Amino acid sequence: MGEFTEMTAAFSAISRFVDRRQRFFFPAPAVAVLFLIIVLPIVFNLYLTFTKWTVGLGQPQFIGFDNFVEAFGDERVWNGVKVMVYFSGASLALELFLGLMIALYFNRAFRGSEAVQAIYIIPFAATPVAVALIWRIMLNPEIGVINYMLTSIGLPPGLWVSSEHMVVPTLVMVDVWKWTPMITLIVLAGLKSLPQDPYEAARIDGANPLQIFWYITLPLIRPVLIAALMLRSLDNLKEFDMIYTITQGGPGIASETLYLYSYNVSFGFFKAGYGSALMVVVFLVVLVFNVLMNRLRRDASAV
Amino acid sequence: MRKALKFVALAGLLCTSLISASASAQIDWKQSQGTEIRFLMNKHPFTTYIEPKVAEFEKLTGIKVVIEAFPEDQYRNKLTIELNSGGKVDGYMIMPGQDDLYYSKAGWLQPLDAYIADPKLTDRSWDPKDFFASFAKASSVDGKQIGVVINAETSLLAYRKDLFAKFKQKVPTTMKELEATAKFFHGKEVDGKKLVGITLRGKKAAATSQWVDFLYSFGGSWTNAQGKSNFASPEDIAAFKFYGDLLRNYGPQGGTMLHWAESTSAFMEGKAAMIYDANVFKALYENPKESKVAGLVGYAVIPAGPKGLRLPHVSNWSLSIAKASTPERQKAAWLFVQWATNKENCLGALLAGVPSGRKSSWDSKEYKANDKQPDWTAATMKSFDIGQGQWNPPVINVPEIRDITGQVIVDAIEGKDVAASARKAAELMDKKMER
Repeated sequence: MGEFTEMTAAFSAISRFVDRRQRFFFPAPAVAVLFLIIVLPIVFNLYLTFTKWTVGLGQPQFIGFDNFVEAFGDERVWNGVKVMVYFSGASLALELFLGLMIALYFNRAFRGSEAVQAIYIIPFAATPVAVALIWRIMLNPEIGVINYMLTSIGLPPGLWVSSEHMVVPTLVMVDVWKWTPMITLIVLAGLKSLPQDPYEAARIDGANPLQIFWYITLPLIRPVLIAALMLRSLDNLKEFDMIYTITQGGPGIASETLYLYSYNVSFGFFKAGYGSALMVVVFLVVLVFNVLMNRLRRDASAV
Repeated sequence: MRKALKFVALAGLLCTSLISASASAQIDWKQSQGTEIRFLMNKHPFTTYIEPKVAEFEKLTGIKVVIEAFPEDQYRNKLTIELNSGGKVDGYMIMPGQDDLYYSKAGWLQPLDAYIADPKLTDRSWDPKDFFASFAKASSVDGKQIGVVINAETSLLAYRKDLFAKFKQKVPTTMKELEATAKFFHGKEVDGKKLVGITLRGKKAAATSQWVDFLYSFGGSWTNAQGKSNFASPEDIAAFKFYGDLLRNYGPQGGTMLHWAESTSAFMEGKAAMIYDANVFKALYENPKESKVAGLVGYAVIPAGPKGLRLPHVSNWSLSIAKASTPERQKAAWLFVQWATNKENCLGALLAGVPSGRKSSWDSKEYKANDKQPDWTAATMKSFDIGQGQWNPPVINVPEIRDITGQVIVDAIEGKDVAASARKAAELMDKKMER
């Protein structure tokens, strides 16, 4: 009998202990897994940024900030930043502008609007790498269908991604084609939830549609626009699969973003230390951009 | 009765002595009986050929062989990681032209010379002299052999025999003629389609593999006598410029984005009069299901440079032995490598479509009877004889230096100032080169 009571007592003591500290025990497995797959790699990556290490050739050697000094003097880093700013600036601006315009258009009820919207979001729903492979074939200057169509209606063929001057605009075009629907969807949801009273008041006061858009819709939708821009920029600034599939950064390094370059350094040249340092630079760029955007958004909501 | 017994005994004695006489020419294949070895392989046609035959080897030797094969993309990563982490690997497939210096610096390659020289370990019939010297050299680091060739490749000029006959053109034998022939065909209309003169790889690092044949034939080299980059030398610049001009002026549109897949498909579509790429792509050109030019292709060795040099490269896959393995398992691994590369297996692999590094395979009746493109065979043999084993920069960080080199090729194709680009690349190469 005694033994049994003792055991029960021990069990209830344990269960009381656990009960009181539920907030530690229940998330523990998840925390452990997250620690293993997220925190550890990040910490290891941070450690690597201060080392020189070619995979296979000895152990990582601590070299302090040398990787960052090297990055500063590396022409390809600056080229990568330039391509990143060019590509992201152009594609984000176009996607935001077109996304907003198309959302405004879809916001009016018209016959078959649902069917049109469904077709319109197909590019956004498609698998990025598969889509990029198709674009790569379509853009081929010799056997691609785009040049075939252009020449069959009497227009001159283009070099598209095979020309160092046209490669980034072409990639921007593909990115805009694929991602504008996402911006549209977010903005459309925002438009649908706007209050109707300011519009009625404006109409009574005799405002024209342009004035209504400029003085009412745009200020009201601004926080949503910035949120959409932030969401999109997270992916866009480190765009990889599409560029890698279509050009691998070529011709030469004409479409090699900083992110692609850091991939090449890490997994093409096996220079894990320098590659990690470049990844950290990309991370900082994305972070700074998003902090700025977040501040803009907060200011916008305060209005 | 007694006489009969005597006779039987005598006959028995005779037999035993005969057996032992023939056995004396053979090594003891059972010497590593019971050992288990593990080989990592690329899922290459050679692997497909040898895997089903491994049971024969196991029966012959009593050695248990575990082969793990991976597709090439994953294979290199997998192998590097396993060797780096000290996994139990006894032997593996390697592309020496790409990885030998890196692997040897990392301490992953066991020299084979001691095994080859040991009559107890290496059968006389294995005959090392039967291998093309160029491949034995290609599988060596600092004069030590670190692998045995199982797949032998080179690059060839392939051309449209039908068009050359129709327009009465000769197969170019010098770089000057090559340019003139490319110019001649460029823009010619055949069956309503405009031809290009020649197609080549132009995509950055990938282009260096064939460009290097032009580099050597122009008398250029990767590095000079001081071990510095030689890109700024007149010979190297001439090679960059010639290659770039050829592709820009007489090649397909968008030359800087041509990898072998794009380049060979232009040729197989019948859009190009000539192509310079790996000889093994013959299998693509001559496949009537995929190629419009099957049966119409002729083959030749690279044309000679300004000083008469004709120096194509040879590249190969080899079987190597892991340095970190134990002596007992290394011995067993050598028996396996030796068996897999014996005359019979090399010939069998060649008949199955894997180009052999042994002369005897190509000279055999079996191969000659089945040879549908004797001019390809002749050109391949010549290229093997004169081929250079060093087709990559002689450094540890091959991919990085290839990338630097590729930028000059891209600039040359785009018609930029080649000399300036080459000087810049030379500086960068000197800074980044690791030996």
